[in-house]
Amino acid sequence: MALALDIQGLYKMYKGGWSPALDGMDISVRENQLLGLLGPNGAGKSTTINILCGLVIPDKGTAKIFGKDCVSDTVTVRSVIGVVPQQIALFGQLTAWENFRYFGKLYGLSNTQITQRAGNLLKRLGLDAHADKRVGRYSGGMKRRANIIASLLHQPQMLILDEPTAGVDVQSRAMILDFLKEYNEQGKTIVYTSHLMEEAEQICDEVVIIDEGKFITKGAPKELINNTPGCKRLEDVFLHYTGHSVRD
Amino acid sequence: MRKVIATIIKEWILLRRDVAGFMLLFLMPAILIVVMALIQDAPFKDYQNLRFDLLLADNDHGRLAAEITRGLKQSDNFHVIDSIDNQPLSDSALKQLLQQGNYRVGIVIPAGATAEMVNTANTVANKIAEKIGVGKLPAREARSNKYVRIYFDPVSRPTFRMSVNFALDKLITASCSNVLIDRMSKLSGDTASAPPTEDFRKMFSGIGIREEALNDKTKDTAHINSVQHNVPAWAIFGMFFIVIPLAGNMIRERDERSALRVQLIPNANSSVALGKIFFYTLVCMLQFALMLCIGLWLLPVFGLPALYLGLHPLALLPIVLCIGLSATSYGFFIGTLFKTATQAMPFGAISVVILSALGGIWIPTDIMPAAMQKLAMASPLYWGLDAVNDIILRDNKLSGSFLALSVLLAFSTLLWLVSLRINKTRAYSVQ
Repeated sequence: MALALDIQGLYKMYKGGWSPALDGMDISVRENQLLGLLGPNGAGKSTTINILCGLVIPDKGTAKIFGKDCVSDTVTVRSVIGVVPQQIALFGQLTAWENFRYFGKLYGLSNTQITQRAGNLLKRLGLDAHADKRVGRYSGGMKRRANIIASLLHQPQMLILDEPTAGVDVQSRAMILDFLKEYNEQGKTIVYTSHLMEEAEQICDEVVIIDEGKFITKGAPKELINNTPGCKRLEDVFLHYTGHSVRD
Repeated sequence: MRKVIATIIKEWILLRRDVAGFMLLFLMPAILIVVMALIQDAPFKDYQNLRFDLLLADNDHGRLAAEITRGLKQSDNFHVIDSIDNQPLSDSALKQLLQQGNYRVGIVIPAGATAEMVNTANTVANKIAEKIGVGKLPAREARSNKYVRIYFDPVSRPTFRMSVNFALDKLITASCSNVLIDRMSKLSGDTASAPPTEDFRKMFSGIGIREEALNDKTKDTAHINSVQHNVPAWAIFGMFFIVIPLAGNMIRERDERSALRVQLIPNANSSVALGKIFFYTLVCMLQFALMLCIGLWLLPVFGLPALYLGLHPLALLPIVLCIGLSATSYGFFIGTLFKTATQAMPFGAISVVILSALGGIWIPTDIMPAAMQKLAMASPLYWGLDAVNDIILRDNKLSGSFLALSVLLAFSTLLWLVSLRINKTRAYSVQ
């Protein structure tokens, strides 16, 4: 199967940083895969995503999405990916509908397309009854779900999520994870970061563990658990590779 | 274009829901215009249309005193008080009243002033008569200096003192001329009969002064007044206060990460920026239009003159567009430059106040010191006001404002380029 994401030797040192954020990172993701990008704080997850979106330019190495270079062909790359940032990237003063209508227009969608797509997603993620309420008045879980909808309006081939379930209640998390699985089953590629190992173990086809800007290991959660001595859960595998020392 | 329109709609919804921002943009300048126009009405009248109480102590009781009193009473500017409680004002009473601060100016006409004036006229007439060999009028050789004395309340401003001095000087000169004409008439052989005196008067009035409008000769000269200055000035000031909602909105969008989402949408950034500019420039233009309406219809209700829009009022449209663009680009620049609202809001507000003071919003630049007048040119508000004044005061066409419009457009372009540069280097992160 063709590669949806191909990262080769990415290196990034931020101005004023004391160590590289990425130090020769290599990751590859196949099309239609649901990949969990796992790592402790400062491992380089967000920098990797920032490079994939064209927000940060790497010092060395290449990153390609569906064969398009993330640095030189940002416009094409951005049109095939949907990014769900860690924080809610919506206008709090606008209703969900107003947000989706606006972002839909920015993606060049017609009114009919926006109404149809946003309507379906609102229903699927349980927000249809609240679509005319201002996003700023939503609960944390509702905001997270609305944040995902806004990233899917243009029907991207790849969805990149940075900790999409951080700080949400169990019900919202379950709904989001179910939805991600469903979306993946529709043939879309998903790259997702999380600190919640149990969650990654539950939904990911494969996980990549990175630390200190480097690739550590990769594999299906079950496979990694089985192949790592003394590990019964993905969290054990994670701690095995990244250690117990606290990261700041 | 659809992206730009979508942004305009989005900005409209956001502004509509920001009641404080809305009030700041429309209500604040409206109140400011009414209050400032009323407060500055008197200073702007420049003592031409004001009526002052003027104390007069007449110790002369002669022709000069009578003509000065008549002239002052005929003037629209003075209300002559020459007696209190049916008692003629004395020198000391006049000074005491001024000292108490109840009156601003007093005039004392000394005893014998008319006699001295007549004597001077006779002396002059005799000198002329000597040369042409006609008769002689009685005149004393020894002359005594008689001064009409003026006393001012110490707090009176120099321009006021100057105006009263000029008015009085004019009356004395006129009186002296009249006496001289009479004397010359007498010497010319007629026995003080009216017709030759009238001939002399006509000769004296052969060269006079008449004030005319620069462009339309059928109209009176339009004078700067409180309304003509304050309405455009504070309207422009209000337009520049667009900095607060615009910069605040941009910083909020970065804080709430909606700006990040815009960054992640291909080719959306420039359309969003354009949409913001269009929307806020439109708001500025509406603001200006509302302020003009206040000048045209509301201020006259308060007894102020109605705003005069000049002979080419439509020329205001491109001018206001350029001022709006400058104000919006300044707001965009502040919103891009500063990272937090705590930094941007005070800077934005205070800088607009400084630029407005420099640019002649508070007081016209022509009464500023020379160095400040040069410095004023650094303010976009100066160029905006100058362009508007070209239309509403100088009755010029749009072509007369070419320089001002060029400066405003250059100012906007420069800030745009700098803002885009800053935005390009700004670090966005999905985290």
